[in-house]
Amino acid sequence: MKRQLAYFVVIFIGFLALAGHFINYPPLNNFIDNDATQWFDIISGFAAFLGVINLLQLHTNKLVYKRKNWEYSILTIVSFMLMIVFGFFYIGMEGIPRGAHLKVEGTAFYWMFDNIYLPLGSSMFALLAFFVASASYRAFKIRNFEATLLLISGVLLMIGRVPIGHIIPWWMSVEIYICIIFALTANKFSNRKNMISSFILCLVIIPLIIYFLNITHWNLFKIPEVQEWIFDVPATAGSRAIMIGIALGTIAQSFRIITGREKSILGD
Amino acid sequence: MILKRKLTKYVFLPTFIIGIYLYNPFDIFLIGNEMSFVFIILICFVIEYFIEKSKNGEEIYMRPIAAIKAMEEAVGRATEMGKPVLYIPGIASLDEIDTISGLIILGHVSSMTAEYESDLHVPVAVPIVMETAKETCKESYLKQGRPDLFREDMVHYITDDQFAYAAGVNGIMLREKPAAVFFQGKFYAESLILAETGNSIGAIQIAGTGSSSQIPFFVTACDYTLIGEEFYAASAYLSGSPEMLGSIKGQDYVKVFCIVMILVVFINSILFNFSLMNFNITDFFRINLIK
Repeated sequence: MKRQLAYFVVIFIGFLALAGHFINYPPLNNFIDNDATQWFDIISGFAAFLGVINLLQLHTNKLVYKRKNWEYSILTIVSFMLMIVFGFFYIGMEGIPRGAHLKVEGTAFYWMFDNIYLPLGSSMFALLAFFVASASYRAFKIRNFEATLLLISGVLLMIGRVPIGHIIPWWMSVEIYICIIFALTANKFSNRKNMISSFILCLVIIPLIIYFLNITHWNLFKIPEVQEWIFDVPATAGSRAIMIGIALGTIAQSFRIITGREKSILGD
Repeated sequence: MILKRKLTKYVFLPTFIIGIYLYNPFDIFLIGNEMSFVFIILICFVIEYFIEKSKNGEEIYMRPIAAIKAMEEAVGRATEMGKPVLYIPGIASLDEIDTISGLIILGHVSSMTAEYESDLHVPVAVPIVMETAKETCKESYLKQGRPDLFREDMVHYITDDQFAYAAGVNGIMLREKPAAVFFQGKFYAESLILAETGNSIGAIQIAGTGSSSQIPFFVTACDYTLIGEEFYAASAYLSGSPEMLGSIKGQDYVKVFCIVMILVVFINSILFNFSLMNFNITDFFRINLIK
């Protein structure tokens, strides 16, 4: 019975939310737009207490029973209590009403937030730069054709996005393209000597051909334009394909949930 | 008789509903949402049709998805190594479908950990998600006949703050060195921080998210990634029930329809731009959502 009730609530609210987007009944539209979200916020607010209790319970148990890594729990509990004191009891400044002190510069809570919490958060965010570098290194390793394409587009995007990309002359772009083509076709050459000589020949002859054909103004020879094209066309096409898949998946998942077929969320 | 019933249910009924919506008697429907309404009705009926078909015993072929197949392998590996399984359900609340999908997959993963008697660790960033995840795990352990293995601190709250949560989870990863890490839910900038740390400890990592901007990071740092709709289909795939598999088949047919429509729009746009056709189909597709 308890479970049936949960299914009923899920199905009823699901259909109600859907109906709110199509039926012209202001109380229903208002419920979906405002009341329902407020209900959710209220329930979440109560759950916040559960979160806090869970956190304290977990770390107190760890500390009391001296479980593995219990030392870190001291730090968690002390920091937690300290913020409670500065948030609820000690303001640290004259003439500031309780509650408003959370957003007033100079109060103890604000000082802790500004000098401890924010730098720690920023440090974590800054770590992202190093993780991006190590992830890019792994992704750009030439293992197969796809990884090579990724490397080429990555390099072109990087060059095109930095100021130096705008001052690269047309002939240097041509040389870069020749290098890329030879990097992709190098394994097709049976003789290394032939490969090197044709590479050098191409480096000299192709820019001359382009110059005499008077096509140096083509966007193909401007790296920033090429990077713009990579970003706007192939990358957008790929991400839109994923977006369409996500949208269809969301509809199908929602359909399974509001018709009561997907019961795993309720433990079935 | 069966054909008549099917025709009524899957052709006449949706046509009737759409007809009523477009006719809009007594202004009971909102104006401007017609396109989305028509497509939602069509998609739902197509999915329903395939669910029905599958329930009636039709064989459904499912393309093998490496990431889903690897889930059991990952839990098995953790059991063999005597190390825990870490499951991260993202940092969003329950109002995101990604979090709900992540929790549904958690149900399946916790069933596996109960079966293999492996240790499961679920740090969460939102208290309401913690409660739901706890219930999901408890039910799974109960269903597997191993309620004794379920611990209340299996699912625990860390913090709501994005980077503080990332720091907390990174700490758990570095201290406990889990053998398998699952990232299933809604992720933002912390995705790469978490996935790279998981990679550095040599854990087998399986990710799944609907955040298209985070998918490249997971693809780079994780062993397997559920991309796009695969993530939402995972729970249906894992359940193996014909009803759920039918819905995936229906979803795939809708995708085929979308591909055809994209081609039609593409050809029409070319013809329209060269003035070979004076009807622009994109005007028809433009949805004016009131909300």
